Amino acid sequence: MQAEKMETDVFILGTGIAGMQAALDVADAGKNVVMVDKSPSIGGKMISLSKVFPTLDCASCITTPRMASVSHHKKITTFTYSEVRFIRKEAGRFRINFVKKPRYVIEEKCISCGKCEDICPVLIKDEFEQNLGAKKAISIPFTNAIPQYPVLDMEHCIACGACARVCPAECIDFSQKEREYELTASAVILSTGFEITPMNAKEEYGGGKFKNVISPLQMERLLAPHGPFSGVVRPSDGKIPDSIAFVQCAGSRDKSIGVPYCSRICCMYSIKQAQLLSGALPLADMTIYYMDIRAFGKGYEQFYQNAKAMGINFVKAKVGKIEELESGNLRLHIERQEGESLPEEVEHDMVVLSQGIRPTPEENFRNINGISRNEYGFIHLPSVPTFPNATGIDGIFAAGAAVGPKDIVDAVQDAGSAAIDALNYIKRTSR
Amino acid sequence: MTDKSAEQSRDFYRQDVKVGVYVCHCGGNISDIIDVEDVARDLSDYPGVSVSRNYIFMCSSTGQGLVEEDIRTKGINRVVIAACSPALHELTFRGTLERAGLNPYLYEHVNIREQGSWVHKSNKKAATEKSKKLIRAAVEKICRQNPLEAIRVNAARSIAVIGGGVAGMSAALSLGRQGFNVYLIEKENRLGGKLNSLWKAYPSEEDGEKTLEELEKDISSLNNINIYLESEVKKIDGYVGNFSVEIVKKGSPEKIKVGALVITTGYVHYIPFEGEYAYKTTKKVVTLPDFIEMLKDDEKNGSLKNVKSVAFIHCVGSRQNPSLDKPQKDEKVNDYCSRTCCTSALFRIKQLLEKYPDKKIFDFYRDIRTYGLQHESYYEELSKKGVLFFRYPEDTRPQVEVKGDKLEVKSKDILTWNEEVSVEVDMVVLLTGVMPADISVIVDDLKLPIGSDRFILEAHPKLRPVEVPNLGIYIGGTAQAPMDLLEAAYGGKAAASKASMLLSKGEISLDPFVASVNPELCDGCEKCIGECLYPGAIVMENGKAKVIPALCKGCGACAAVCHTRAINVAGYSLEQIDAMVEAISKE
Ligand SMILES: Cc1cc2nc3c(=O)[nH]c(=O)nc-3n(C[C@H](O)[C@H](O)[C@H](O)COP(=O)(O)OP(=O)(O)OC[C@H]3O[C@@H](n4cnc5c(N)ncnc54)[C@H](O)[C@@H]3O)c2cc1C
Ligand SMILES: Cc1cc2nc3c(=O)[nH]c(=O)nc-3n(C[C@H](O)[C@H](O)[C@H](O)COP(=O)(O)OP(=O)(O)OC[C@H]3O[C@@H](n4cnc5c(N)ncnc54)[C@H](O)[C@@H]3O)c2cc1C
Ligand code: SF4
Ligand code: SF4
Ligand code: SF4
Ligand code: SF4
Repeated sequence: MQAEKMETDVFILGTGIAGMQAALDVADAGKNVVMVDKSPSIGGKMISLSKVFPTLDCASCITTPRMASVSHHKKITTFTYSEVRFIRKEAGRFRINFVKKPRYVIEEKCISCGKCEDICPVLIKDEFEQNLGAKKAISIPFTNAIPQYPVLDMEHCIACGACARVCPAECIDFSQKEREYELTASAVILSTGFEITPMNAKEEYGGGKFKNVISPLQMERLLAPHGPFSGVVRPSDGKIPDSIAFVQCAGSRDKSIGVPYCSRICCMYSIKQAQLLSGALPLADMTIYYMDIRAFGKGYEQFYQNAKAMGINFVKAKVGKIEELESGNLRLHIERQEGESLPEEVEHDMVVLSQGIRPTPEENFRNINGISRNEYGFIHLPSVPTFPNATGIDGIFAAGAAVGPKDIVDAVQDAGSAAIDALNYIKRTSR
Repeated sequence: MTDKSAEQSRDFYRQDVKVGVYVCHCGGNISDIIDVEDVARDLSDYPGVSVSRNYIFMCSSTGQGLVEEDIRTKGINRVVIAACSPALHELTFRGTLERAGLNPYLYEHVNIREQGSWVHKSNKKAATEKSKKLIRAAVEKICRQNPLEAIRVNAARSIAVIGGGVAGMSAALSLGRQGFNVYLIEKENRLGGKLNSLWKAYPSEEDGEKTLEELEKDISSLNNINIYLESEVKKIDGYVGNFSVEIVKKGSPEKIKVGALVITTGYVHYIPFEGEYAYKTTKKVVTLPDFIEMLKDDEKNGSLKNVKSVAFIHCVGSRQNPSLDKPQKDEKVNDYCSRTCCTSALFRIKQLLEKYPDKKIFDFYRDIRTYGLQHESYYEELSKKGVLFFRYPEDTRPQVEVKGDKLEVKSKDILTWNEEVSVEVDMVVLLTGVMPADISVIVDDLKLPIGSDRFILEAHPKLRPVEVPNLGIYIGGTAQAPMDLLEAAYGGKAAASKASMLLSKGEISLDPFVASVNPELCDGCEKCIGECLYPGAIVMENGKAKVIPALCKGCGACAAVCHTRAINVAGYSLEQIDAMVEAISKE
């Protein structure tokens, strides 16, 4: 098949908050942008959060308008559910080859009515809900996804044809093929974000094994106003938990798991989740086991002090091991670093492992000729602080959590910075 | 009537008004408390309303699509959205109307979340009734609204960057490269701000001087960046696109015209009070910046050779508590974390130990906040090198006393059962925090919002960190919040990006919600001028008051005092307000 040819000023890989901010800055300055994301919706991690520290703004409420501005902007074109095959610098410009994977839905015709989703008989895991809920084999990614086209999961589809029969716009296409694009751009911004440390990074905590030991992103979904169970319940038995523990640094500050650095956001999101939980479950106890509370951003220390005043327990302790009890409860073996420094066992209904941030996998970078990564695996920035978004390749800039752990406001700041670098690069090279 | 004028008349007040009402669930933020279906049903019968709907997320693409569709197919020509705060979404929905071909100001936003579901959680019924009333009032208001046009002002393609630290220099450089005429204003005799005194800086451990020279070289290679050293801002007036800045440069005044301002005035070090940790009662108690100077001096002169032991105390002048710490002149303590002192101090200890491995180091901390990618390695390294860390409880402070030619530091230590520890040392280093530079002239002239931590308050702490509510003014670096060099550079450049966006079109549109005077009713009493907070926004012309639109903020203070009801604020006319009050008070 012939690749469709396109041209643009700035190409942006990754449509999280960093990518969206960079795109809006570039486009509002009058330049054209093409964005690609591998997910079926734009928005990145932020759209799946419950509320954000330290303002406790509801994440949907502040992310959706950004997503809508991006998708409505005349100068921005987005491609979701797409994969980049390579980015090459040729004669001062960038050649980008990417494919749009088949959704098995003809987007030009789909009216996003959701009838296909309603009728589909197959239930599969819902990744957006962090596998806590189920969705249909054909489904619109989530309520405020952009675009609102469903994706058909071919692997689980039983080809019953129900969706095709019910679709009023006749747009289910089981034989849809991927589409290839060949884009030429003057500058590139990489904003591919991060992943959280795998739940089984520390086996002794039972993450991924014990049902009621959950990931922080799962807790975000449980707390979201339109989350999987409309309320905070335990995954094992649907019980409303009375006592919830957070284990800090569960996937960071530890060379043995390959994450020697501090992940910078986990203290704050745990304090946030604990605050939200005390609102959602007024009778429950929240305990945060920590080494240092790193509330260093603007307004963060005050947020931490508020949490203490609200009665959230902060216990300076190392958590050695977690055991699952028959009741589904969890027994934590802790060693207090304050007061009586004796080994102790404590029981909780539910445990959140405050996993850290790690770089996206190596394949993300393999096909971008000349991009190097630092010792931790994040994109290397050779010219900090004088030219702090520049990667090793002139004309490719990086922003957001793709260069290291970062909260939203820090990602937004350096995305703006990357945008003006891209504009300046275009100005310099088009002269 | 021609087609065109028929089309236009559709917009005008009282000619076939068709209001569309849209009630948002906000996920469940609203609908868990307020019966949104009942509200939408109730409004569908209200006079003037043609369509009334409810939807899970009005701000989503689909939600906005509903409005567009109704405008196109059902002839809706006035829109009321009942949802979250207009601060979040006013611009979103104006865009929706515009895309559907309707004047964007024919829309009214009702906040039934902050003013409804969130404040009346315990009384669902009353919250629902209140929402109905607020929406009815909005319908009355929007029925009486004429289309408005944004005010357009020409913008000068020049920018003043005030403060020449790493943030200001990065901003100036980015703007200079975009081709703008940049004025970089610095009160000292050299650019660089704290780069001049950091010496080697974490995490690269490179000399700040080298970074500074690189930036200076790049800046001087552009002839559209005008550097004003030893210069201070005396006065700023004007408005977006047309600011006028009075500068005193080396004693002589000068005036420049700029389209936008970038404020990067940075921070000052916290200075401990006399006697705070024995500061100023002995030369052996120094601040972290003093210690950096001493380390630097030691490289040449070995001046720290005889200091055998040093205690470091964290969070001096930061993370304060009003019951334990002495407040500043404004009677407030510094309750924030200064972000850089932990890493900075650990890095300096590392430097010291590299040269003098035998020095005894005691570190009194509350939390070690080495948050950055490379920062944690300093902490790890020092723990291995035998630095003794003590964690003092939040509700106590370590005590420093002069004992002959030694200093005694006493503190409780959480790590050892809250035991009282005491160490004798030759020197104490206080990890003094940061406070924003005093820029009261700029703050007063521009009416900049300031947070309770005294740093400039951004428009939104998550999504708009370099903007303030005043259009045309951007902030970057440590004038906004404590941060390190890299983060300050990002901030400065993000501010540059916004300024460049604003001025790239040569023309700026402003909200049309400004006052205007009906000369027929005005009797020239000048009460309005006395009431207006914004200099020059109302002037007298031929015995009548007149409003200068670009300076007016639309606050309505003038309208409230005008005894002949001659002043109306567009979008908030007296007639509209009267109708709203009536709708709300009606049972
Ligand atoms: C549990 C949790 C709670 C949090 N809570 C808060 C909070 O309350 N407040 C706060 O400030 N921060 C919070 N954060 C941090 C916040 O999520 C990040 O700061 C933010 O998401 C970073 O945005 P980003 O755009 O850099 O990356 P991301 O959000 O990760 O976006 C990256 C995007 O790139 C796409 N992508 C990646 N690789 C590729 C590829 N090869 N090809 C195409 N596309 C690709 C991804 O699909 C994604 O859409 C939280 C994080 C977690 C884990
Ligand atoms: C003790 C200490 C050690 C640190 N060590 C490191 C380190 O090792 N590595 C690191 O990355 N960061 C470090 N930092 C942080 C670093 O100093 C700051 O991030 C950075 O200097 C901030 O730059 P800035 O441009 O925002 O502010 P500043 O450097 O403060 O610059 C502001 C400039 O504005 C000027 N100015 C102020 N008011 C006016 C006015 N009214 N008119 C005109 N000009 C004005 C000032 O003279 C100054 O030149 C440290 C901070 C401290 C407190
Ligand atoms: S039924 Fe058809 S039109 Fe409706 S969402 Fe599914 S694919 Fe789209
Ligand atoms: S932010 Fe807090 S929980 Fe996360 S790695 Fe750092 S210290 Fe640990
Ligand atoms: S950075 Fe460290 S020393 Fe500085 S205020 Fe914060 S916790 Fe205290
Ligand atoms: S509305 Fe406010 S700012 Fe405008 S002229 Fe009247 S008083 Fe002044």
